[in-house]
Amino acid sequence: MKSINSIKLAVIVVLLGLIGFAFAPAADKIVVKGSDTLVILAQKWAEVYMKSNSNVAIQVTGGGSGVGISALINGATDICNSSRKMKNTEKEKLKARYNTLGVEVACAKDGITVYLHPTNKVKELSIKQLSGIFKGEIKNWKEVGGADAEIKLYGRENSSGTYVFFQENVVKGDYAPSCQTLPGTAAVVNAVKKDPNAIGYGGAAYAEGIEICKVKKDDNSPAYLATAETIKTGEYPITRYLYMYLRNKPTGALKSYIDWILSPEGQKLVVEMGYFPVK
Amino acid sequence: MKRISLIAILFVSALFFKATAQETTVNEKLSEVNDKVTGITERLATAESDLSKLTKIKISGYIQAQYQMFESPALESTSNNYFSIRRARVKFTYEATDGIKFVLQPDFAPGALSLKDAYVVLNDRWTKSFSLTAGKFNRPNYEVEYSSSQREMPERSAVIRALYPGERAIGAKLEYNPLNLPLHVQLALLNGTDGLTINNSAGVNLNPSENKDYDNYKDIMVRATYNLGLGSFGGLDFGAHGYFGSLKSNATSTLSSDYTTVTAIKFGDAVKRNWIGGEFQLFADLLGGMSLKGEYIAGNNASVGYSAVAAGTDPVKNPPVPGVANFQNNFAGYYLYFIKNLGKKNQFAFRYDYYDPNTDISGKDVAVAKFSPTDATVLKSKTSGKSDLATTTFGLALHHYFDDNLRISLAYDIVQNEKVGSAGLVTEDYTKADGTKVAKGMDYSKVVNQNALTLRIQAKF
Repeated sequence: MKSINSIKLAVIVVLLGLIGFAFAPAADKIVVKGSDTLVILAQKWAEVYMKSNSNVAIQVTGGGSGVGISALINGATDICNSSRKMKNTEKEKLKARYNTLGVEVACAKDGITVYLHPTNKVKELSIKQLSGIFKGEIKNWKEVGGADAEIKLYGRENSSGTYVFFQENVVKGDYAPSCQTLPGTAAVVNAVKKDPNAIGYGGAAYAEGIEICKVKKDDNSPAYLATAETIKTGEYPITRYLYMYLRNKPTGALKSYIDWILSPEGQKLVVEMGYFPVK
Repeated sequence: MKRISLIAILFVSALFFKATAQETTVNEKLSEVNDKVTGITERLATAESDLSKLTKIKISGYIQAQYQMFESPALESTSNNYFSIRRARVKFTYEATDGIKFVLQPDFAPGALSLKDAYVVLNDRWTKSFSLTAGKFNRPNYEVEYSSSQREMPERSAVIRALYPGERAIGAKLEYNPLNLPLHVQLALLNGTDGLTINNSAGVNLNPSENKDYDNYKDIMVRATYNLGLGSFGGLDFGAHGYFGSLKSNATSTLSSDYTTVTAIKFGDAVKRNWIGGEFQLFADLLGGMSLKGEYIAGNNASVGYSAVAAGTDPVKNPPVPGVANFQNNFAGYYLYFIKNLGKKNQFAFRYDYYDPNTDISGKDVAVAKFSPTDATVLKSKTSGKSDLATTTFGLALHHYFDDNLRISLAYDIVQNEKVGSAGLVTEDYTKADGTKVAKGMDYSKVVNQNALTLRIQAKF
């Protein structure tokens, strides 16, 4: 085997580099995966967008923010929906595989809602009380002004962005081992509906058939429900952005879809589906 | 009429008794099903509890099988092309509780079974910014810590392979990763002799154990990196690392890097090994992603010699063995990668890699400047040679990702050595494939062909 001389090699290198620039990701099929909190909104976006853009096929599935981010890293999805920010370790994986830092698009706002059974006497809780309840330090409803009954905890699996956000911003520690983890916010709502002593958390858009608990920043603050107004003003203390993550700057059909989601038409659906617009 | 009434009563009674009997059967069945569901629920709870313990164990790994062809004349008589398994690793991670992690990673490559990683990580649960690692782990350096399964070239750069043989070291490491600042600081205390061979006068390696230290000196390694966001363009990570260590002298003299000065040293004194390096990684989101990565390291490395051995009572049977001075070499090395993703499935990379093990003498001085001891029975003459020549490697690689688990790579390394001043000064003999010996066939006054082609398939899980 003869060696290639350096000039020939340099030519090959430059040519290959140029080929690289010719590869612009373009696809008429868009795969969306991730956050269960966002899944009903993402499905609605896809359904409405495909009606007016019949050449584009959009496939939406949930699984949780962690699952979506993994899918983005291993190339199994074009858009990852996430109810939390990407972790540094996840960004490092994206860097290693695709040599990019990813693109973050804030597409909606959400107030994490605390669900109670309608018969529960407790109607409001402070962040500190919620932390105590979900850590397992407060075990009985009477400790927070309710009936003498054991508190039943329901939450999300650790692949969920809501699980992570609630843990970092409310629980501020480990969840109690007694907290039952359920796959999806709808499952949490269903569990709370059936159990008079239950408490759960999840996206505001899912809160049907249960009592929504008002939340106080601290003992001296007024309690607020998650509404468009209290989320916009920042009065409701558990608000967050919901994100879409992409590997690279979007082009072609993907860019058109993202632009439409951020347009007034896309943001109108955000409100219709029970979420809150980014602007 | 009476008969009709009697029949009707009998019919209704029969229906009633049948209905009652059916109700009893349904109730019994319901109770039975309830019991079964309760039993299954209890069993499920036990299974869930067992399963949750298993989810704390994560198993990952990868296998790299490859075919390589080497152009080096030195390999002609043996094998210059072969299949091999470069790495066959399984990594076991056990997260006992939040904040405590155990990692064990053996490498099952044939003929080279080894334990690559074995460490415990304790995360600070309060500020969530500090972590302590103890055991055998990667030394804090960018290319060392960058996984072989992700690396864009088949092997690490020459300077990294020379400074950090085997990549891992035994010791303890404190890391600082503040939550709201893209800063990463690592401070490690290491044995510092991992992967080094330190021979005595009889040619016996004094550092045979991978599990303890050769001396009482502990080495310090520190690295700090910062991630700077560059908006929609991408990001720049930059940082520096330093190595501050010593080896116990096993000789009573040390030879300088330029082969001109011998200084006295006490047996057991520290022979310093200090170097520093700067690194950067630039990531740009340009039509599919690209990066430019580089690192420059320079400093002072050392190898340990041995003391002279006096003649025995029978000088014929036990002649004197002249000692070898410790050697301290000033070195420099760097690498520069250009990596471009070609769509979602392909990646192209090239690397320019330079390592000069001795910056104090140039190629034209090698084998010319020479240290000659006055008494050859005390100190062996140590002259400059092949080990002082710089190496430049130009590497080119193409990768195709079938999916997240499977990658096929084609790489070609063009290796060029620094040339000595004139023919015949630094040479090596070799044997041709037909058995013909070529005396001084490899002459380092020219480029000695050492290019290599690698075709590798990697399966990862």
